[in-house]
Amino acid sequence: MTPAAAEEAAERRVLGWWGRPGGDWVAQGRQFWGLYARELLKTFRNPWVIVITLVQPFMWLAFFGASFENVPLAELKQLLCGLSNPGCQAAVTSYVQFLLPGVLATSMLSIGMFGAMSTIQDKRFGFMKRILLTPTSRATVYLAKALGAATRGLVQIPVMIAAAYAFGVTISAPAWMWGGWIAGLALLGIGFSALFLAITASSTDWQTPGVIANFITMPLMFASGALFPTANYPSWMQTIAEGNPVTYAALLGRDVVVYHTFSAVDLGYLALFAAAILLIGTIVASRYLKAE
Amino acid sequence: MTLAAIDATGLTKVYGRLTAVDHVDLKVSAGGVFGLLGPNGAGKTTIIKLLTGLSDITEGSAYVAGFDVRRQPMHAKQRIGWVAAEVILDDDLSAWENLWLQAQLQRISGWTDRARSLLRYFDLDDRRSDRVGGFSTGMRKKLEIALALLHQPEVIFMDEPTIGLDANTRRMLWEMIRGVNREFQVTVLLTSHYIEEADALCDHVAIIDHGRFVAQGTPDELKARVRAEFIELETRPPLAEAELLALPGVQSARSQGSGWLLRVASADETLAAILTRVDPRTIHRVNVERPSLESVFIDLTGSRIDSTAGEVPDYRKFYANLRRAQR
Ligand SMILES: Nc1ncnc2c1ncn2[C@@H]1O[C@H](COP(=O)(O)OP(=O)(O)OP(=O)(O)O)[C@@H](O)[C@H]1O
Ligand SMILES: [Mg+2]
Repeated sequence: MTPAAAEEAAERRVLGWWGRPGGDWVAQGRQFWGLYARELLKTFRNPWVIVITLVQPFMWLAFFGASFENVPLAELKQLLCGLSNPGCQAAVTSYVQFLLPGVLATSMLSIGMFGAMSTIQDKRFGFMKRILLTPTSRATVYLAKALGAATRGLVQIPVMIAAAYAFGVTISAPAWMWGGWIAGLALLGIGFSALFLAITASSTDWQTPGVIANFITMPLMFASGALFPTANYPSWMQTIAEGNPVTYAALLGRDVVVYHTFSAVDLGYLALFAAAILLIGTIVASRYLKAE
Repeated sequence: MTLAAIDATGLTKVYGRLTAVDHVDLKVSAGGVFGLLGPNGAGKTTIIKLLTGLSDITEGSAYVAGFDVRRQPMHAKQRIGWVAAEVILDDDLSAWENLWLQAQLQRISGWTDRARSLLRYFDLDDRRSDRVGGFSTGMRKKLEIALALLHQPEVIFMDEPTIGLDANTRRMLWEMIRGVNREFQVTVLLTSHYIEEADALCDHVAIIDHGRFVAQGTPDELKARVRAEFIELETRPPLAEAELLALPGVQSARSQGSGWLLRVASADETLAAILTRVDPRTIHRVNVERPSLESVFIDLTGSRIDSTAGEVPDYRKFYANLRRAQR
């Protein structure tokens, strides 16, 4: 072997089969895992995060559920289902039951904000420099942050379902339907945290995620079928709701919880949403993710 | 094979209308401790950012550990370590977890033995499971150097390694940097605006001002270059230039703020003359600068590197960073 070839071979061993850092999936996987584990460690070491994660779902259901408590069930059924929908009227047993899928869908909206804030914190304290001074690509950093934030948000799901159970919601649909619904929520969470991170990739300002959260969260929460039936909306809001992924996650869940049916189309829409945002976000972040 | 550890040609960085680094040629041979010495805002940190690929090069080329920083940044990044001026660690993680993360990011295998011996070398092995947030400033600095050494880099960049540290810790760190350079056979490029630091620590020094190298060489070479000594003199009312040039041994006089900077053959001789010829009650300030890296800088630029005026905002910046980092 010539010295040059020997050196190249040694290089291969260090850098992986493709001989190019960034070309080796195993090596990138380690970088991803390191950053992803860091996100989770940091989050769940903070006792407040745990307390809020556990308490918030109960508060949501308690306050929202209580807001219709004095409405007689017959009137509530008419309000939620409309007059001409006897199937729905038969299935709805309480506002909490109707609400649970919607509350879970909207709670996925806010998790992106935490990922964006932790990224900005890393930029301001210089930790992003420490990361980017290693052979870690911006795309890897982005994916680890987005999935880290989504994972943090997903912890709410089992807690919320347990809370709903405590409020009297029955879990009679088959397990695979529940699994499919939770997968849909996960996709929604990944999509939104990826969206937030892509928008704030070049920002170093603490205030940005909050401003964007207000800007995105409010319209997407109300212009969806998450909290109220869309049939009562004006047509322009119905149009927004029809494209809004929050609606699909809410309807997917409502099918499972209220009607014990499953819509693969809704799940497919959410998968498409998550994949598209992740792809676009990765491209944006590898160009615009700032170190400081 | 003695490949240059760092080889930059015409390195330039422009921020808007400001040229922070202006066509700098930098060659650092492998194995030594190289110092970039200059006042605040000279462009030291910017040079490190350019060489580590953190900031885009406006013009020129840079090779670090044999790799083109622009074309093969990932290869270069595998071979460099970095120690920040403001100490950047993850305070929520333990020392060992910080090392673990660094190993994942550098994608090195079999790192645990090296991590253990580094912790032992830096006297941190009994604190490895403790959260870094509770470490003292010196311990944090040591851990940061351990992180920089974990993947056996060829070059380590240290930006103002001793800024904000007390005199004892600073001296300890000088020892440590020299030890690291020797024992881990790693080239060190550090920046500083402390004259004594560059003098005591570096084999080779480049003096930088306004983004340009004004002189380069070993500390002894640089000092030998200035044959003269300097007297800074401020009187009220100010003296005329002709009066000053008439003093024995004065080679030139340059106005400096509200006073004068005299280049003299022998400071003692001229000082004696000043005290007899100038009314001592009018002397507001007098300062003698013996041959040192400071006098080299004074000779070349007419201003000081280590001005006390510069220290104040600098420390404030440092502590602000530190507080930010420790939050
Ligand atoms: N991101 C930036 N945008 C605009 N100007 C910048 C930026 N970074 C540095 N500069 C400017 O470039 C010049 C050199 O800055 P640099 O931080 O390299 O100085 P330094 O020698 O490290 O100083 P110090 O001793 O204070 O750390 C300064 O005038 C600074 O204002
Ligand atoms: Mg600096």
